[in-house]
Amino acid sequence: MKKVCVIFRHSPIGNTSSREGLDFAMLSASFEQEVSVVFTDEAVLHLLPEQQPELVGSKDYLATFKALSLYDIDTVLVCQESAKQFGLKESEFNFEAEMASVKQIQLLIQQANEVVVY
Amino acid sequence: MAPLQEPFFIVMNKFIIQVNGTVYGSTASFRALRFTESVLSLGHQVSHVFFYQDGVMNSSALICPASDEHDLHRAWTKLATEHNLHLVNCVSAALRRGVLSAQDANENRKDAFNASDKFTMGGLGELVTGIEQSDRLICF
Repeated sequence: MKKVCVIFRHSPIGNTSSREGLDFAMLSASFEQEVSVVFTDEAVLHLLPEQQPELVGSKDYLATFKALSLYDIDTVLVCQESAKQFGLKESEFNFEAEMASVKQIQLLIQQANEVVVY
Repeated sequence: MAPLQEPFFIVMNKFIIQVNGTVYGSTASFRALRFTESVLSLGHQVSHVFFYQDGVMNSSALICPASDEHDLHRAWTKLATEHNLHLVNCVSAALRRGVLSAQDANENRKDAFNASDKFTMGGLGELVTGIEQSDRLICF
């Protein structure tokens, strides 16, 4: 078992990076790895509710983020600096996630065996 | 008289390489190739090279740049042959991007396939177990 930290840093719309990153995170968790997830930079936009990715020809993979807790992925952090830049509040989050300081994220990365950025 | 040499230990690590960058238009795959060559030359082990996201394009046998250009597909297959490397494509990522093995083409009723047989089609599970069994994952 390894501690795997999956960092999302791309916007949910305009590229498919996060969709495949999410697949990786969930598969790692189902293979009994200890997975944590971080949203930073434009990726904080994943937390916005009521998005319709189908309108831009994408599968609605955003709904799947709600399943992270079912996969025992309990540590889901959102960079508060990035959230602030995008005017996003914790009360608006579309799925269970916690606002975190840069320090908290650094600590999580330090504790991880592997860090993967999508 | 030559001084006595200190005993030294070579620390050998087992790496797994993840390539997310496409075969042309980004330098990620080239950097992954150079890194892989380098760790092998230093005596380390590379358990798998796993191609994910746009990285699966590296496995297309139809890549044919002009003769004065770098052919990354050929470079990967050459390195794999020389070092008996295990090149693995994520099959779902590959199918989405039109990279098919003969078996995939047959199963999906397509007229042609393009994945080179130096690359095997595998699942993300192979990446995850590979990460678990290696000392270090390096992503490009």
